[in-house]
Amino acid sequence: MNLAYLWGIFLGSLHAMVPIILTGAGEVIGESSGLFNIGLEGIILMSAMTGALGADAAGPIVGLLVGVGTGFAIGLIFGSVCTYFKGVQLIAGVGINLFSLGLVTFWLIHLGVPGHHAVAEEARMVDISTPLGDFSPMIFVAIGLPVVIYVLLYRTKLGLKIRAVGENPQAADVAGINIHLLRLLSTAAGASLAGLAGAYISIDWLGSVTKEISAGRGFIALATVVFSGLNPLLVLLGGFIFGFFDNLAVWVATMPAVQKVIPWQFVSMVPYVVTLLVVTGVIGRVRFPAAMGIPYERE
Amino acid sequence: MLKEKSDPVEGKLDIILAGKGICKGFPGVWEHLILDHIDIDIQAGEIHALLGENGAGKTVIANCLSGFYLLSEGQIYVKGNPVTLKSPRDGIRHGIGMVHQELALVKPFTVAQNIALGLSSSDLSFPLPEVEDRVRELSEKYGLSIDPLARVEDLSAGEQQRAEIIKVLYHDPEILILDEPTSLISADAERLFEVLENMAEMGYGILFITHKIEEALEVGDRVTVLRLGKSMGTRETAKTDRTELVKLMFGEHTPVHLERKPVKSDKIVLEVKNLEALAADEEPALQGVSFSIREGEIVGFAGISGNGQSELAEVITGLRRATKGQVIIREKDYTNHRPGEIIRAGVSHIPEKRREMGVIEPMTAAENVVLKDIRVSPFSKRSFLNISHITRHTEEIVSRFGALVSDLWKSQTRILSGGNIQRLILGRETWKMPRCIVAIYPTQGLDAKAIGHTWELFMRLREAGSAILLVSEDLDEIMALSDRIAVMSKGRIVGMFEGSGARREEIGLMIATGASKT
Amino acid sequence: MDELKKTIIAGAIGFSVGALIIMLYGYDPISAYTALFNGAFGDLYAFSESLANATPLILTALTFAIGFRGGMFNIGAEGQLYLGALAAVTVSLFHLPSATGFALGLIFAVLAGAVWSLPVAILKATRGVHEVISTIMLNWISQFLAFYLIAKILVDPLRAEKTVSVAESARFSLLVPGTSLSYAIFVSLVAAIIVYLLLWRTVIGFDIRAMGYNPLAATYAGMEKWKIILFVFITGGLTAGLAGAVHVMGRPPTYAIYSGMPSVRGLGFEGLAVAMIGRNHPIGIIFAAIFFGGLLAGGRMMQLSAQVPLEMVRVVEGIVVLFLAIPELIRLLSFLRKIGTPVVLRSKRS
Repeated sequence: MNLAYLWGIFLGSLHAMVPIILTGAGEVIGESSGLFNIGLEGIILMSAMTGALGADAAGPIVGLLVGVGTGFAIGLIFGSVCTYFKGVQLIAGVGINLFSLGLVTFWLIHLGVPGHHAVAEEARMVDISTPLGDFSPMIFVAIGLPVVIYVLLYRTKLGLKIRAVGENPQAADVAGINIHLLRLLSTAAGASLAGLAGAYISIDWLGSVTKEISAGRGFIALATVVFSGLNPLLVLLGGFIFGFFDNLAVWVATMPAVQKVIPWQFVSMVPYVVTLLVVTGVIGRVRFPAAMGIPYERE
Repeated sequence: MLKEKSDPVEGKLDIILAGKGICKGFPGVWEHLILDHIDIDIQAGEIHALLGENGAGKTVIANCLSGFYLLSEGQIYVKGNPVTLKSPRDGIRHGIGMVHQELALVKPFTVAQNIALGLSSSDLSFPLPEVEDRVRELSEKYGLSIDPLARVEDLSAGEQQRAEIIKVLYHDPEILILDEPTSLISADAERLFEVLENMAEMGYGILFITHKIEEALEVGDRVTVLRLGKSMGTRETAKTDRTELVKLMFGEHTPVHLERKPVKSDKIVLEVKNLEALAADEEPALQGVSFSIREGEIVGFAGISGNGQSELAEVITGLRRATKGQVIIREKDYTNHRPGEIIRAGVSHIPEKRREMGVIEPMTAAENVVLKDIRVSPFSKRSFLNISHITRHTEEIVSRFGALVSDLWKSQTRILSGGNIQRLILGRETWKMPRCIVAIYPTQGLDAKAIGHTWELFMRLREAGSAILLVSEDLDEIMALSDRIAVMSKGRIVGMFEGSGARREEIGLMIATGASKT
Repeated sequence: MDELKKTIIAGAIGFSVGALIIMLYGYDPISAYTALFNGAFGDLYAFSESLANATPLILTALTFAIGFRGGMFNIGAEGQLYLGALAAVTVSLFHLPSATGFALGLIFAVLAGAVWSLPVAILKATRGVHEVISTIMLNWISQFLAFYLIAKILVDPLRAEKTVSVAESARFSLLVPGTSLSYAIFVSLVAAIIVYLLLWRTVIGFDIRAMGYNPLAATYAGMEKWKIILFVFITGGLTAGLAGAVHVMGRPPTYAIYSGMPSVRGLGFEGLAVAMIGRNHPIGIIFAAIFFGGLLAGGRMMQLSAQVPLEMVRVVEGIVVLFLAIPELIRLLSFLRKIGTPVVLRSKRS
């Protein structure tokens, strides 16, 4: 167990934390405005697919943008259903997950290689090589984004409006804010980031698309949001913790010594067990926007 | 941008805000319009009081005039020009600012943040420093001291209200509407009145909504009385008095006299001692309530709603925690027991919000009628529902109480009218001749015939020995039914009258002023 | 009736969008949908396959539906059914005489499912942990636990890629020879009927529905929330565990679980969609499950003859669920298409 080894684990964690941080930070915006998006998993999956295809066609940057666009589009649909059409957020989110799973699987088959699509080498994101190791540029995005979102939510008037809509939509309405529109756009913005996360997974990190590529990360991101108390900076911390455990399983599989003692299946469980424990411990002390989850009507 | 107050010419000033023929109905089952062809006008430089009981429609018309609600019919004029207000933002644009009764403040935010919310500056800006400065400026100018950096949830009720007022003043309105501004700040009322009078001097037009006659007389130049959605007329406060206003607010009446024998028993069924409890927003709702009700006695609680009556009922029936004091039912302490136990102790509850608490709207009529009795034989045997018995029972209740239902087991209760739902609830809660009944606004929204039947029902239950706690805003009802009358104000009983000797005007006055008898 | 209309409208939208996607990919929706229908209900073989597919779906849908009726979002069927299936296989390790083996297999499966749902119920009742997060986490934990058990403990000594098969004596006999349909379908149907009776003919069922509609009024009427939470999740766990058992004890040809659990995977989430489309009513669920089972069976045919991958059915499912999320769906579409009649009066006052 030498330093290089540990550093390798650390590096791996940095890569693994990116999708969780991106999705989680995005969901913080959405939940701050009052919408709870359980469809994040589906969005990640879908944009992993569309992003990969975009990258195949026109390179990694385009692929990432396609992923963002996918997330945005789905976010608009989900947001509209839940605001203007007063839909039940949990059910609409489940619908998105089912639809995405179906469409992606369908797509994978259509592309000729059942179940698995590898993104071409030249379409992959290029890591920045340093003496310390290969860093993906997205890692820096993942570190910077929560800061940007924090500033947005807590240091601008727009952030004030978003939080007001989630906390006391009636007061916001009186102040002349368009509740439905703001919630719609907040959710769509959050979903765009989930889209970016999905594209990152297929184009950059893992390099392929399967129907399991999202691996519950959308839900882990939701749990991270709970842990963070809607503070984007804590999403950064939570994301790293979960990324660490997520990545650990892979590493353990390569260490025969550990394998003898702890089977890989149990190590794989750890991110989810940790999530569960954290949420249980934290849930009483965390304060959610008072109007989250409730469709708004004026009269 | 305020106009100078025009010289009064025979008392006529410029009309700055007017509403003509305003009607408002809500989709649903009100048997009458919420607002029924109301004409009202406010002059620049006047404080115009809008007086009325709860349910009269005061908040509704205020919301219409500020743009929060849409009018069903009628027209609003600002400075003589007809305008259509589709949202609060329209109202602000036309110079109308409204201070809501339930303050429209985001609690975790600071005062400055709350105000910044409504500004039309760029979204990416962070205008807090300017807001803070201007708040201090306005604070000075109007004598409403408030710290812009304080978080709203940390402020007292009075300070919160000041923050709300400053928030409204920030937009430089010419018309100010205040909805029951003193409901939270009785101690500071004087200061508020000074501020308002100053603003009137400066040329503002102020609409001051209240249910307290004293306030209307003190601070208003003119007063309009609203009753059940209709305007009863406008008077100059200098030329009217308490008596006339009481008459306008509560109406002429023929006292209804129901046959009653005096209360026979001395046995106390329900006793409440020094009860204290908090309301939903953590403010004190009950501040030491004590009384008792005997077998076969009806004690009527009069007073404007919002003075603790709902919380009292909720504490007695186990839905709200009492922080101090006791609820004793037939000599056993049931304070803070679960609702199920209290139901089994023989207490029935006709709740205030019949659609939210009294029935489960998506369930059928039969299911709602047996909502509480269902776990008891013969409605269920060994956990299985006895459908035939439930059906028979429901049919009986429906016919006995005259409820109009399309079917017992198919349609949702939601589609029934409020009156029919109430009949079902009355049937459910009284068929067993319960020992104690807590009835909160039981005839609200019912037609005259239904009200009459309900009164007869209560008298029969009284004969049979039920102890009844009746809360009502209908003074006629209280006077007709009660053996004793209590008046509640701000979580306390401020007066207790013997039913027979009580004079309506006296009680009405106590309700309207909230003052103690002494 | 309103519910049925709404389901039909949502279904119509779903199939329309599906047809659109099929066309976009260059296939012919008409031949695709024809093949779909034939493969689902065209002959006895097809219909048997549909019913066989429906068998576990009815049960996992019941898990979600019971939760939904109680006002909760129980999506833990997936994890619970894995353990149920594994429990049934475990019993077979002990080579018990036929009737006992069969009964114990079912019993342990059912208990396994219930046990796995306990943490969810307890966490919700005591700490207010939202069941969405706890069930998802437990689903994943259960999956890895299952992988471990399949690979190490229950593994078939002769063929390492699967578990031991359920003993012949402990299996459900085939109802229609030559198909996948076993007597297990009756277990599912009976379970649906029991849940129906439970919800509409017992006191606890009444309480569950009341609490689901209006927790405040239900509490005021004397009901206790924690009891209902516990009951709802445990019952849901029972049916989910049963789903696992019914699958592994009733589905030819292997009567075992392969590593990676390809055949069991997704039964929980499909059940969710079935429940939604069945409007969370046991009778509706039976029909919805047969519909879904048909989609799966027919999907294979669609893939064979019209070359449209069978995953298209899941796309349709997702869209239908999405539209079912809209409470005023009928009113919305009556603007556009002048179909339905205005929905129930909504009065907010009085």
